[in-house]
Amino acid sequence: MRETTALTLTPPWRAVGTIVLFLSSLSILVPLLLVIATSLKTPIEIHDGLPWPQSPTGDNYLAVFDKIPLGLYFWNSTATTLLRVGGQLVVALLAAYAFARFEFRGRDLLFALTLGAMMLPHSLTFLPTYLMISWLGWFDTWWGLIVPNLAAPVGVFLLRQHMLAFPRDLLDAASIDGAGPWRALWLVILPNIQPALAAIAILLFIDCWNEYFWPLVITESEDAMTVQIGIRRFLDAERGDDLGPLMAGVVLVSLPAMAVFLWFQRRILETFVSAGLKG
Amino acid sequence: MSVALALPGNAAQVRPHSVRRARHLLPWLLLSPLLLLLAAFTYWPLLHTIYLSVVDVRLFQPDRFVGLANYVGLFRSPSFAAASWNTLIYIALSLPLKVLLPIPIAVFVWCAGARMAALHRSILFVPTLLSFVVVSILWIWMLNPVMGMVQSGLRPLGLQMPALLSDAATAIYAIIGISAWKVIGFNALLYLAGLASIPRELIESMRLDGATDWRITRSLLLPLLSPTIYFVAITSVLFTVQQVFTPINIMTGGGPSNATTNLFYLAYEMAFESFNIGFASATALLLFVGLGALAALKAWLLGRRVHYA
Repeated sequence: MRETTALTLTPPWRAVGTIVLFLSSLSILVPLLLVIATSLKTPIEIHDGLPWPQSPTGDNYLAVFDKIPLGLYFWNSTATTLLRVGGQLVVALLAAYAFARFEFRGRDLLFALTLGAMMLPHSLTFLPTYLMISWLGWFDTWWGLIVPNLAAPVGVFLLRQHMLAFPRDLLDAASIDGAGPWRALWLVILPNIQPALAAIAILLFIDCWNEYFWPLVITESEDAMTVQIGIRRFLDAERGDDLGPLMAGVVLVSLPAMAVFLWFQRRILETFVSAGLKG
Repeated sequence: MSVALALPGNAAQVRPHSVRRARHLLPWLLLSPLLLLLAAFTYWPLLHTIYLSVVDVRLFQPDRFVGLANYVGLFRSPSFAAASWNTLIYIALSLPLKVLLPIPIAVFVWCAGARMAALHRSILFVPTLLSFVVVSILWIWMLNPVMGMVQSGLRPLGLQMPALLSDAATAIYAIIGISAWKVIGFNALLYLAGLASIPRELIESMRLDGATDWRITRSLLLPLLSPTIYFVAITSVLFTVQQVFTPINIMTGGGPSNATTNLFYLAYEMAFESFNIGFASATALLLFVGLGALAALKAWLLGRRVHYA
């Protein structure tokens, strides 16, 4: 985001602005810090109601693996997320290439249908999709989690934008050198849109990692359950009596998305904002 | 088909560098995975939902056509009435909280110094990174009237935390507040991107003409921001109902006594708890039609006042 001349606020307005920002940041940070603090407390400390642990302990982080098969949930989530995002990227890359670089009948209609799929809520399609997945025998499997979500219209849309903005001279040069469309995609376009590709991958990763509705519908055992479903089950089973391990689980479940964000901070912000995606 | 549905203005557009004819199959090859997936998992389910809403699905027997019986049944059911009403409340209250409140936050971040702005941007983004499951667990614990964190803060003051989530009068507002907490920061970032693209010359020339901050905000910033406001408002209408599914499912299960259920949650319960596929499909379709109508109405109302930069 580029700097522009903002308003020169009068002192009272500047004070209002500082207070508003301070309060909104506080309302976000305080609950999160309390979760982290609680995950480091001993059971006795949890009930004394003090915000910060007197003698921080990592026991809760070990205990949560005893209470629920969190390792298995992590394995399911990690594997299905990586496979799904990889698949989404390949499908989107090929489709975006076709939309951006080729002339064919019905292209604009098909692109409109792709964008339309972005606006169609899950609420409209979940039941027939569920019936189809069951009929295929994919209920409670990785297939059921991955395959119905392999088309990512957002990815198609963003990659197409980047390919349209790609300098034509480079492609012409490649074509004069005898490169066919596959070589042009692989050797010219792909290396040049790598930053965009990485950003979209991160966006899809976070979206998939945090997903709740579809895994709730399509999984029922440890064979396929994801971390989000697992931690939710833990909440139900403990009813808040085992707060320390629960909060440790919450922290662990949130870590991958946080880590990815810290690594690629700037880029993610811009991609999320341009995609207008909601978490 | 393509003639009837093609978008206006694009049909005759021809690229100077179209690829040679011999390769006319290649784009279809490239598109085939996407098209097959969209057909199988988006557009076919859409048609199938319509079909399921007008039949009675029976085990080991062919489906029986029942016309609008599922819809009539829905309109007679009290839970459908409650869910419809709550859906309207979710949407109506989401608009000021999720669409308007982020605007001043974005303007203040924009006015802050570069360092502070960067810090606040990162903090505002954090709730977007958290899953709604985590956010729901967090707030269940914060709001717990016996051992919650808010209660620990109130106890020394001699106050008692009310049981917001188990009281039918307050539960829906608690869920709306929590879902706003999750998205306000993200929407503020959307507005911030809109503000960053406003040309600085316009602001400076207004200031040279002696305009106050308030005047610049009202006559320049808000009009130039209106496409973003419009976008945020439409997506809030379309996705709020779906977005609150997770907190409803985890925090209240639609209760107490249907106080927090909405049409999406009702469709889910009908499908997977009472196994009434006809009712569930009819609910999903009615929800979609209603949302489409609301979005169109909103587009029409706002569209007359949107200024494109």
